[in-house]
Amino acid sequence: MDPICPLALLSAGTEATIAEVRAGKEMRFRLAGMGLCPGARVRAQCVDRGSLIVSVGDARYALSRGIAMKILVGEPEAA
Amino acid sequence: MTGIRIALTGNPNVGKTTLFNALTGSRQHVGNWPGVTVEKKTGRIDWNGHAIDVIDLPGTYSLTAYSADEVVARDYIIDENPDVVVQVVDATNLERNLYLTTQLAELGVPVVIALNMADAAEAGGYAIDREKLSALLAIPVVRTVGTRGEGLDGLLDAAIREAETSPHHEHTVGYGNDAEAMIASIVDVLSADKDLTKRYPLRWLAVRLLEGDENALAKIRDSPAFTGVQALLSGIDPDEYEAAMADRRYEMIAAVLPQVRTAGAGGMNVSEMVDRVVTDRYLGIPIFLALMWGAFELTFAVAAPFVALIEAGLAWLSATVAGSIEPGWLASLVGDGIIGGVGAVLVFVPNIFILFLILSFLDDTGYLARAAFIMDRLMYAIGLPGKAFIPMLIGFGCNVPGIMAARTIEGEKDRLITILVNPFISCSARLPVYILFAGAFFGAGAGGVVFLLYILGIAAAIGSAKLFRHTILPGESSPFIMEMPPYRLPTAWTSLLHMWSRGAMYVRKAGTIILVGALVVWCLASLPFGVDYGSSASLAGALGHLLEPLVAPLGFDWKIAVALLFGFVAKEVVVGSLGVLYGTGEGGDALSMALLADPGLSAATALALMIFVLLYTPCLATIATIRKETGSWRWAGFSVAYGLVLAWLLALIVGHIASLFLGGA
Repeated sequence: MDPICPLALLSAGTEATIAEVRAGKEMRFRLAGMGLCPGARVRAQCVDRGSLIVSVGDARYALSRGIAMKILVGEPEAA
Repeated sequence: MTGIRIALTGNPNVGKTTLFNALTGSRQHVGNWPGVTVEKKTGRIDWNGHAIDVIDLPGTYSLTAYSADEVVARDYIIDENPDVVVQVVDATNLERNLYLTTQLAELGVPVVIALNMADAAEAGGYAIDREKLSALLAIPVVRTVGTRGEGLDGLLDAAIREAETSPHHEHTVGYGNDAEAMIASIVDVLSADKDLTKRYPLRWLAVRLLEGDENALAKIRDSPAFTGVQALLSGIDPDEYEAAMADRRYEMIAAVLPQVRTAGAGGMNVSEMVDRVVTDRYLGIPIFLALMWGAFELTFAVAAPFVALIEAGLAWLSATVAGSIEPGWLASLVGDGIIGGVGAVLVFVPNIFILFLILSFLDDTGYLARAAFIMDRLMYAIGLPGKAFIPMLIGFGCNVPGIMAARTIEGEKDRLITILVNPFISCSARLPVYILFAGAFFGAGAGGVVFLLYILGIAAAIGSAKLFRHTILPGESSPFIMEMPPYRLPTAWTSLLHMWSRGAMYVRKAGTIILVGALVVWCLASLPFGVDYGSSASLAGALGHLLEPLVAPLGFDWKIAVALLFGFVAKEVVVGSLGVLYGTGEGGDALSMALLADPGLSAATALALMIFVLLYTPCLATIATIRKETGSWRWAGFSVAYGLVLAWLLALIVGHIASLFLGGA
């Protein structure tokens, strides 16, 4: 799957699949432990100028714009 | 009686600490992990002839380490070989929790799963087949509800059984032909090193090496197998394997889940609906401010009667001591020194405990995590992550637990800046100084002046954070990722325990550092023998006269110099010292009248004094805490020096400007 856009650009209520995480190794390991790794299905809940709350499975995380720009997702679709 | 060590691990926010408290009760020991400022909690249980030590590891999402907390958790499990690892799993969030389980299984340590918050999962409509889960993972699964202490007996039995079974089964994720071939070759090379083979499970080590984990590489650096492994890894892209292997783990979990869990009703849940409102880009900050305002209002309202009670008790105690102890100097030591000094701190105990109770409650409900998210954008502007506002918030109660709360901040520079600016957050100990001076010199405007002082403290913290970020601690603030736990209604017991763990630090401070400080103050004020307590002829008076030229530009005389000097012990001491120096006794209207009557003091000087008190070192305990949390006297010394310079400069500037408007100074 080709990366389409950063997670930060999703609008509230849309779902997408993570295609790539462009962060350092340690950060990628940590994100994988949290369920934020390529192939994971994420849903944007609350979006505020690039910072957002996403749900992955039963977990929810708040991400700042900085990190949300480094997580690339595939084609977003309305949930 | 045999000894068994149980390591308690799990993701953050799964109720691990609650379960630990339920297991060990009051038989806990709280210390620090060597070399790091991560709290180490251990507890002892006697169970069916076994002496069980339970070690509560910091919460972690995986065994790859990112923050200091995670390093501690990982190193303990890998290097200390606990007899059994109990993973506390949030039953409402199996998928992510089981990721850690796959890593534990790979490590080959005996694991027992405590399927916690089972009641919440059942209430949410999830039915989990524990036997099936246990069979699929080859790991015992025990149902627990930590908040009600359910399932503890079964958990301990299972843990002992697992610890004593040997060998236990291993059930690890298969990573597919390509990766498995690589793993097999790496294991083959590693197995030549007998020492390594004894210390680490080779499959686990091989998996970590294939994923490109620097820590795993460091573990084999001195091994004769190192060059062989390097040769194997040279031709491959570890990033590719890393992504594929994480994917495999989640695939394995995805294959297990539908077999063991029947999902409840989906759709938008209550947490999500609440989040829509409280994290709204327009409503979020007003809601946060309203809640904080309410928290402080409630604190002072509820605490007032307790404060009055403690004050009355202390007054009675002082009077009793003064009347019954001979000789006079001993009565003075006990009355003025110990009761006066420590009492000044004890008076704040109700305020601090109630504030901590409210904050603990908000934390336990899950709201504080949202508040950190709301604040992140604001905090980012000053170069700190959103989490840094929690230490600041606690700092309004007391800087000591505030500085300790900075532990949860991951970036080392972020943490240092958060610690260094915390003293500018006006703790409740500074309030009596404001109340005394603002009340005496500003009359009806006193409330406004005190409010402006709090704002000035926040501004000093923000300005200093920006300054530090651009000078001594340059860099970007680390990216903000924080789990938003589902909203929960905490039980009174968990909130009280949480409050106690924070508040106890404050009481300990009163009992130790402040007591010593109070005794030093008493000696300075009483020596040489025969002088009037705290008079110009005492050692304290001499010091005051010595320091007077330094503070003269601010309009302060020797009495204020003495009070500020004693204020290093704790800010409350400033008021008490002035009471002694003006001969009016502890606080009260008499001291206000005496201050007003002093021709050397004007409203402008009073303002300068309050600003000085706001900005210079809060207390000895804060210095000691900064030393402990940063691991160096250098930062503690820097904090003191920076605070003094800033206090002196701002007091001078504001004092002079104010004198133009208010007259005097």
